[in-house]
Amino acid sequence: MYNTTILIIVSFISAMLTFYVNEELKQGPVRSSAILSLIVAVYFHYYAGAMDSYLAKNIPLVFIGASFIGMVSARLVSSYLLIGVAGIIFCLIFLHTSRFFNGYGGALGTSACISLLAVLSIPIVGKKRKLTNGMIQLRRVLFKINKK
Amino acid sequence: MEKRHDRNSTIRKFFIVFLLIIQVVFLFAIFRENLQSWWTIASMFILCILILVTYLKGQLHHEDHEYEHILVVLWIPIGAVASFYLNHFLHFGPVISAAAVGSTASFIPGFNKRSHYLKQLPAAIYCGAFIGMSSTGVAPGISFVLTASFFTAILLILSKNLFAGVGGKLGTMAFAGVVITSFVYFLISSYV
Repeated sequence: MYNTTILIIVSFISAMLTFYVNEELKQGPVRSSAILSLIVAVYFHYYAGAMDSYLAKNIPLVFIGASFIGMVSARLVSSYLLIGVAGIIFCLIFLHTSRFFNGYGGALGTSACISLLAVLSIPIVGKKRKLTNGMIQLRRVLFKINKK
Repeated sequence: MEKRHDRNSTIRKFFIVFLLIIQVVFLFAIFRENLQSWWTIASMFILCILILVTYLKGQLHHEDHEYEHILVVLWIPIGAVASFYLNHFLHFGPVISAAAVGSTASFIPGFNKRSHYLKQLPAAIYCGAFIGMSSTGVAPGISFVLTASFFTAILLILSKNLFAGVGGKLGTMAFAGVVITSFVYFLISSYV
């Protein structure tokens, strides 16, 4: 449980940090994802020290995977929270990834894409709710007029 | 003109459905291994529905269809082999190899800032680097990596304006390339 929590926090931070470097610091998607992951991976490769070997092995993997989410363009998502949520979903998929696809290059990218696409649907569903809220307001107005 | 438009729209639909299938297969594999946990099954269903909503209603693609230039995708095998070499011959591990190749690639546009061609290279090389992250159990040698790069290159050529700016697109292409190649290898080994 302790390890899972740490991995979830890492992916939450990684996705948002990459998006920040990508969009605010204008470093472009590839550089922001690759350099951040390189720093984290090198650190855990050489200076993991007394850290739990499970964490030392998985934190770089989760970090690079979640950083793919941060490569998204601001045209599609602009909310940091949504990107963070996508990071959490990514981590949950990563923890359950099928043993069948173990060792396949690009599996991290696919998980990242799935979690990002899932999160992208939230504004679409949200928009519909706004519309129905509008309908309710309209009905109320009509209802009041009828009462009078 | 009309004919070309029809062909483009067929390719678009084919590609979008293909990517959806790859992702659903990926989720289905998780689903199959966790049949005992209701929590996982429910979340897989919710994820599938959410993805479907985005596929149907999201503004993911540019209107006009374009093809990626072949000179751009030629860099995929270079990225793949470089990353594979760092990963398995120098034993740096998958993350450092892919990230190092990607970091180096991201500085290529700096050589000539006015060149449109150089600006497109980092994405192609980074896409190749994901193929090189495969373990030796999946990718036994350079020939596998080159074949996977070939399939990934075809997918990247077809999908220039599709899923534009979606994070994870490059990874999904690389994954699709690796899956197709291992399927082809599996077929060859079972029938030859």
